[in-house]
Amino acid sequence: MKKFLLPLLFLILFLLESIFVQYIPPEVFGQNYILAPRFLFGGILLLTIYAGRKYGIIYGAIFGLLFDIVWIEIIGIYFFLFPLIAYLISKIMHVLQTNIIVAFLVSLVGIALLELGVYEMDFLIHITTLEFKSFITMRFYPTLILNAVFLLIAGYPLKRHFESFVESLRDE
Amino acid sequence: MPQFFLNKRLIVLLVSIIVLVALIGFSLRERSKLSWPEQFLKDTAGLVQSLVSKPAHLVAGFFENLQDLQNTYEENKELKSRLEKLVSLEAQVQELKKDNKELRDILGEEETLRDFEPLQATVIGRNPDRWHEMIIINKGKTNGIKKNMAVVTAHGLIGKVKTVNQFSSTVQLLSAMDPKNRISAIVQGETNVFGLVEGYDKEKKALLIKAIPSGVEIKKGQNVITSGLGGVFPQGLPIGKVIDVKPDQYGLNQTALVEPGANFYDLENIIVITRSMAQPNLGDMGEGKEEEDL
Repeated sequence: MKKFLLPLLFLILFLLESIFVQYIPPEVFGQNYILAPRFLFGGILLLTIYAGRKYGIIYGAIFGLLFDIVWIEIIGIYFFLFPLIAYLISKIMHVLQTNIIVAFLVSLVGIALLELGVYEMDFLIHITTLEFKSFITMRFYPTLILNAVFLLIAGYPLKRHFESFVESLRDE
Repeated sequence: MPQFFLNKRLIVLLVSIIVLVALIGFSLRERSKLSWPEQFLKDTAGLVQSLVSKPAHLVAGFFENLQDLQNTYEENKELKSRLEKLVSLEAQVQELKKDNKELRDILGEEETLRDFEPLQATVIGRNPDRWHEMIIINKGKTNGIKKNMAVVTAHGLIGKVKTVNQFSSTVQLLSAMDPKNRISAIVQGETNVFGLVEGYDKEKKALLIKAIPSGVEIKKGQNVITSGLGGVFPQGLPIGKVIDVKPDQYGLNQTALVEPGANFYDLENIIVITRSMAQPNLGDMGEGKEEEDL
């Protein structure tokens, strides 16, 4: 039973993003801003930090592929970026201490890297023609703020969960 | 840091970049349908989403109802005033319909570009990444949905069907930036002006109709509808209103900015439009490529 808990949690985060975009009307945050929820990726980054690089990269690849197929229909963007950034974050965490404030800040850096990476890729294949300056003001900062709020709320429960997951692995 | 990129890691990175480019190239090319693993995954995800979206719809609906209750009085007043106008309009429409039918009978022409059959569908998911504006609906091939069909709400056109799976399909919204997403449109006026809706201005929240000859006069507030000449959409679906006109780069053409009538957010129930009139065979138009099952 416990084995399915972790995939289920990420599946819920995966669906939560879609529900968030569908039901939170844009008027709440002002019409001119684009807020992209990155709850799933925030969870993957926290998993990388607390449960280890292996899990982060595996979950990143699986859910990146799922994200690409279900939402984007261009396979490769998230399939590549999720594991790559998870790997980079695990490298950064080698240097830093693992406490919750550092984890929060590093996850936010990871989400920022993801946003930039996705923007560059989409710009390259002409999905968007948004200029970099407008991208930063219209999308980058609001998205970071939204995800910072999410990490503040969900960071501690997720940390507890991942730590107990690691404990249960050790017991086996 | 010499050990940061050990040889093995460098090779893994390079190989994965090659795989990435290959995968993106594979999925970017013109695909008439998705491969079966993708379809299977999307249908499975669609099933889970429709399970989740039902309670979510209920909760969201409850809050919306509360909001509606607040301004019921104002709305009621306005609607009553509109109702009076509606009665006379209805009589007029009846008469025109009858006229139209009689004239058509005389001509012996049964079908027009305007005829269509509506198909109700519910939105079960929306792309959270917000670059590719797409929604997922709960009807698929088994319900008779085909690629490129028009999708509307009560207020106007919102997009077209991008891919079809067995039990769900993906709709690309007009607000998506896709150079392939072109819709033949008419700007209604004393003389109708034809143009192509190409692209979306994210900052102004307006659709762009490009390549209108610069001699043609277009005013603010003119209605824009689909022309039905694109081959897939029926004629007369409302798109929006002109809010601005500006000359293009070289001054030979002008671009009209059109405010879409439909709201691209807060979508719940939508209608997929099936055109009754047969679609022209693409092979006849000198463009004979592979599109067999449109």
